[in-house]
Amino acid sequence: MTAKRQSYKDTLAVPRVVRFGLPARVAHWGHTITFLALLITGLPLFAPTMFGWLGAAFLGMNNLGTIHRVMAVFYTIIPIGALIANPKGFIGWWKDVFSFGMNDIGFLLKFPLEFFGFPVKIPPQTQFNGGEKMNSVVTTTSCVFLGISGYIMWFPQYFPLGLVQWMPALHDVTMILATTMVFMHAYLGSFHPGSGESFWGMWKGTVRKDWAAHHHAQWYEKVTGEKAGH
Amino acid sequence: MGQQYINLYDVTRCHSCRGCQVACKQWNQKGVNIVPFSGGYGTKDDMDGKTLTIIKYWEDEVNGRVQWRYRKHQCMHCGDPACMKVCPTGAIYQTSYGAVAKDYDKCIGCKYCVSACPFGVPKYDEEIDKVTKCEMCADRVDHFMELPESTDPKKQTEKYTFIPACAKTCPTGSIKYGPKEALMKEAQDRVAFLKANGYPNANVYSPESVGGTNKVYVLDEVPEKYDLPVNPTTPAYIGVWQPWLKPYGGVLIGLAALGAVGSFFSTRMIKNFGHKFGLGEKTEGGDHHDG
Repeated sequence: MTAKRQSYKDTLAVPRVVRFGLPARVAHWGHTITFLALLITGLPLFAPTMFGWLGAAFLGMNNLGTIHRVMAVFYTIIPIGALIANPKGFIGWWKDVFSFGMNDIGFLLKFPLEFFGFPVKIPPQTQFNGGEKMNSVVTTTSCVFLGISGYIMWFPQYFPLGLVQWMPALHDVTMILATTMVFMHAYLGSFHPGSGESFWGMWKGTVRKDWAAHHHAQWYEKVTGEKAGH
Repeated sequence: MGQQYINLYDVTRCHSCRGCQVACKQWNQKGVNIVPFSGGYGTKDDMDGKTLTIIKYWEDEVNGRVQWRYRKHQCMHCGDPACMKVCPTGAIYQTSYGAVAKDYDKCIGCKYCVSACPFGVPKYDEEIDKVTKCEMCADRVDHFMELPESTDPKKQTEKYTFIPACAKTCPTGSIKYGPKEALMKEAQDRVAFLKANGYPNANVYSPESVGGTNKVYVLDEVPEKYDLPVNPTTPAYIGVWQPWLKPYGGVLIGLAALGAVGSFFSTRMIKNFGHKFGLGEKTEGGDHHDG
């Protein structure tokens, strides 16, 4: 039997529950576009021998710098925009991320097996599972560090030299961690068999009720008032 | 590395005519950034994107009397240049004779070199969106190197026409250009002379902490009096960043990509064939993980 991916239309037939509001989704995909643009325009500086050709592709490394800066502005204001547009949702996200409990530790311990397809029983999760919580922490922290180090490198004249000197290295370390996380996140949100519905949650905003009950039992019980039954 | 050539500047012979500043601007065809008068003696307080060398001025007090100090400031041409190490596009390079030169076509104005230089030399030029610095007139000196040393004074004069513009123009012989050994000996002789004539702190300044510099100073006082670091060092971050982070850091990203590819296949294999090895059940109704 082959794994058949259900299209969004197919899944509409079953009852759904809202997982992400519009501001969260706009922020998520806005960050996706700007992060990838920043990565593509930044890599030639990090690894010129491997990605130097991108400079030529953009008609000169100076153009990369310009695009990088424009994208950086959007990359750093998008989270602020999301906070203003839906403060309740934004704070709710962080409340959930920091309600890191035994079930999340259980998730992180068992997930490496699940990741490679071994059948495991994962403890009930809240709106964000243990891995998603880690992803939230890493991507947000890196957004803050990349933003701070980036703006300091952009306007070095306003900062002490000793601080400016460390910024390229900090920018690189953060970029490596963020890119690693983004690659994992992108795979888990797209081609990993266990995550198909979570993609629709971020794209259309709603997820199948039975999927929510199975993958995010604690959250499902909270928002629907029904027993998850798993 | 071939024969090393140095640019020697003897502060005790300089009378701050600033001819070197003019010659430098003329040869390098640099325009002027007009800035408000800051109250100092100098043309400007520091170099900028269009000014590759400047005479800096200080007032000092010696035995209750004002002592006027000045020194020509420009790139020191380190033997182990931090700017070259951090340059992401390879725009900065060392010539075979020891000058730290720049390929301006490759410079993208990222300013990494600006914050890496222990002497605060490279400056950003907004107009061309690039960082500029003294190249010890590598374009002139390349030609100088092509001409053979000669006993014929006419030919020797012609060769020495192509020394750096500042050295060529210097009227007092304060700036000299030539083979390292000969000029270093001259510098040490001069320091010995100064020490014997009332300047006990006289010294040759070419700090080893940056691999020795190919711009060498003869100073009549300790380096601090001329706003020069005694032990300039390549900033510590370069030791972490350049040899480790840049070449190997990306491996982590590669591992994530490999893990994703591995998982893509292993999840599907276990799903389809896992039941044969007691991993899950094939007939689980499309599997709850399906979408």
